[in-house]
Amino acid sequence: MVVGDLATAVDVAVLGAGPGGYVAAIRAAQLGKEVVLIDPHPPGGTCLHQGCIPAKALLTAAGHAAALADMPAMGIAVGEPFIDLPRMQQWKNGLVTRLAGGVQQLLAHHRIEVITGRAWFTGPQELQVEGEHGINRFLFDRAVIAVGGSPAPLPGLPFDNQRVLTPAQALVLTHLPGHIAIFGADTVAAELATIFIKLGAAVTLALPADQPLLAQFAPSAVRLVQARLKKLGVTIKKDMPNLAALDAPIVVISAGITPNTGNLGLNAAGVQTDKVGFVRVTPQMQTTNPAIYAVGDVTGGPPLAGLAIKQGKVAALALANQPARFEPQAVPWVAWTDPQIAAVGFTPAQAQAAGYQGVSGRFPLGANGRALTLNAADGFALVVAEKESGVLLGVTIVGRQAEALIGEVALALEMGATLTDLAETIHPHPSVSESFMEAAEAALGIAVHIK
Amino acid sequence: MVEFKLPDVGEGIHEAEVLQWLVSPGQTVARDQPMVELQTDKAVVEIPSPVAGVVAEIRAKAGTMARVGDVLIVIRETGQSPPAVEEPPTAQPRPPALGISGPGQRVLAAPAVRKLALELGIDLAQVPGSGPAGRVLPNDVRHFANQKPAESSPTPEPRPPAAPLRAMPPGQEVVDEEPLRGLRRRIAQRMEQAWQIPHVTVFDEADAAHLVDMRRRLAPEAERQGVKLTYMPFFIKAAVQTLKEFPYFNASLDMAGQKILLRRYYHLGLAVAVPDGLMVPVIRHANRLNLLQLAAEVARLAELARQRKLSQPELSGSTFTITNFGSFGAAQGTPIINPPEVAILGCGRIEDKPVAVAGQVQVRPMLPLALSIDHRLLDGAAAAQFLTRLNQRLSDPARLLLELP
Repeated sequence: MVVGDLATAVDVAVLGAGPGGYVAAIRAAQLGKEVVLIDPHPPGGTCLHQGCIPAKALLTAAGHAAALADMPAMGIAVGEPFIDLPRMQQWKNGLVTRLAGGVQQLLAHHRIEVITGRAWFTGPQELQVEGEHGINRFLFDRAVIAVGGSPAPLPGLPFDNQRVLTPAQALVLTHLPGHIAIFGADTVAAELATIFIKLGAAVTLALPADQPLLAQFAPSAVRLVQARLKKLGVTIKKDMPNLAALDAPIVVISAGITPNTGNLGLNAAGVQTDKVGFVRVTPQMQTTNPAIYAVGDVTGGPPLAGLAIKQGKVAALALANQPARFEPQAVPWVAWTDPQIAAVGFTPAQAQAAGYQGVSGRFPLGANGRALTLNAADGFALVVAEKESGVLLGVTIVGRQAEALIGEVALALEMGATLTDLAETIHPHPSVSESFMEAAEAALGIAVHIK
Repeated sequence: MVEFKLPDVGEGIHEAEVLQWLVSPGQTVARDQPMVELQTDKAVVEIPSPVAGVVAEIRAKAGTMARVGDVLIVIRETGQSPPAVEEPPTAQPRPPALGISGPGQRVLAAPAVRKLALELGIDLAQVPGSGPAGRVLPNDVRHFANQKPAESSPTPEPRPPAAPLRAMPPGQEVVDEEPLRGLRRRIAQRMEQAWQIPHVTVFDEADAAHLVDMRRRLAPEAERQGVKLTYMPFFIKAAVQTLKEFPYFNASLDMAGQKILLRRYYHLGLAVAVPDGLMVPVIRHANRLNLLQLAAEVARLAELARQRKLSQPELSGSTFTITNFGSFGAAQGTPIINPPEVAILGCGRIEDKPVAVAGQVQVRPMLPLALSIDHRLLDGAAAAQFLTRLNQRLSDPARLLLELP
């Protein structure tokens, strides 16, 4: 690397090393490209370092703590749990470090040059990086923008990392607040409420005006989560007019994201954004500059790492002139709440709104043997299919391990499977996955284990 | 038994290519169920079954040429119409697709099949699925690919521009073989025929300042009337007026009969790029239409061409053709005559250029023009005059008003 005016020529420059960016980098390297991956932070992005992974670690730990309340009924006498939050954070950080090390190794294996620094475009095929060794210039043949987004602040209530926290800041607290208020209605807000109530804090979940909790899921599924949150002791306030009413010492705000495109030099690169700043892309993830692609949260789709990963692969193929197209048939959504909700495709109401003549089938986990033995009878499986053809349109599962179970039906939807396909497939017994089979049979009018 | 023969579809069509069968032997077909896709001169037509019955035999294989009167398929008639038949495997409007894939037709296919289709350049929505509920299976895609030119993708994606900086590693000279079929074959034949004509191309540039201005002023009014006003209607108007002045440019040459046919009507062909090639829909009696009507007709024909739904009269009988390669961004080109015509006009991209006006360099929007002629009938001097007159009309489009009938 040369410091100064000499520019380095590379095949592909990837800006942002989150799940979308580092996957694009690896796939491009697999296709024979020389790749640099640029991020001010270590590879892994928000998901690995500040978001999904830390949140899931804390959900596991907090879940264990809360499950102790059920132990006596199973004949296990336990004392009052003691929550050592610094120790818990250490454990979580250990996981993150291990995973981040894995990503580093993968990048090294594919001979991807990782540059720590902030990058911005200075022309259609040129960028600069300000890093630890000064400013470097790169001429790239293709670039991928994968810079993600940042938590959107509320007007008049900037994040101060004291009283007003981003979700990421809440996930690194080492002192459990007596009372924490969470403002938001998305999965992040619901998961934070679940973590902190189970760790023993008093929690207020404040839903913004006109935003029901977890609106993307079937209302019957959300009702179970809401009931459980209330039972755990969460105060849910609807239609919060203003945050002044929240008297908690700590307020966490999860009100969506804004794209990190502010200082990216997109004008110089000829990359157009929408009014908010999200980058416009084609189904090949190509921006208005044909040499530049964009993937992940910066493109303004649902902020799901799974989507960013898929888009990263599509962009890598497209920039290598290989046929590729981002056209998911089924996008799984998961709320890692208690119980978890996982859904793919349409809910029955969404299917109807989209113009389908639907038929649906529901199977309660209370009638599923494995769910009972897991001490997790709260939940159900719900399928909706096109009435005439039986082709699946969507599946929702609420319950323990919903996140793991949804994969089966996501594949079914991608494959264009029918109710009969789901009903005819042998499922292990006893298992919660049987509930898909039973729900499909219920839609066909032949369920065995419910009347 | 009903033997279904290739019907006479009119306008001098003697043969058609069997593109693909939508039914297979043993399958029950309903009356009027689409059976087969045929490609005539330049249109693709779907032939419905004349009876209800069971397919006994398919005589004309996909990819072959059938002549009028040839037996295409044999159907064993059933006494009464059979009970609910399988959904015809043609693309039908379906409710919107799932989740974020947005509204559109949902095509049932496994991810691996989608990938295969992408790699073969096939639009899955065009592929009849043979699986349960019409699911498209890998062999359906391969079968379809063997029947169509592989570059056919009815919704062309902006392909990422090629040319990485580095050289191609050695040992990668892969050759894929594809059959020459369908529209591509038709174009290849026509072009071979056209190349028999001794071509001469003359070039000129029109100062399009007034034209640009006129279109800009009229476009909002046209839009209020639901019509998108492009430059094409102006080109057509100017061409028709000039053809009236130079009748030999609106003629054909009959070498066999040793005759020159001067056509006293003005059917204007428009070269339209479609996903798998080129079509030339025809605006009949273009001289009788005003600019708005021309604009509406251009839009209608171009859309039908893209959907491959042009009827035979809309595809034949043109007396002069215009190709607007400027609309694809090309500055210049040498158009090839569409036989039996004897001349073709090509319009390039209007672009600001420095030009000398009264001894001063000025920046003017310039419109490149190219006129190819059949030198057997027309000469360079006439071509230059034709182009000069056309240029005057395009440089000062108000002249077109003077010539209104």
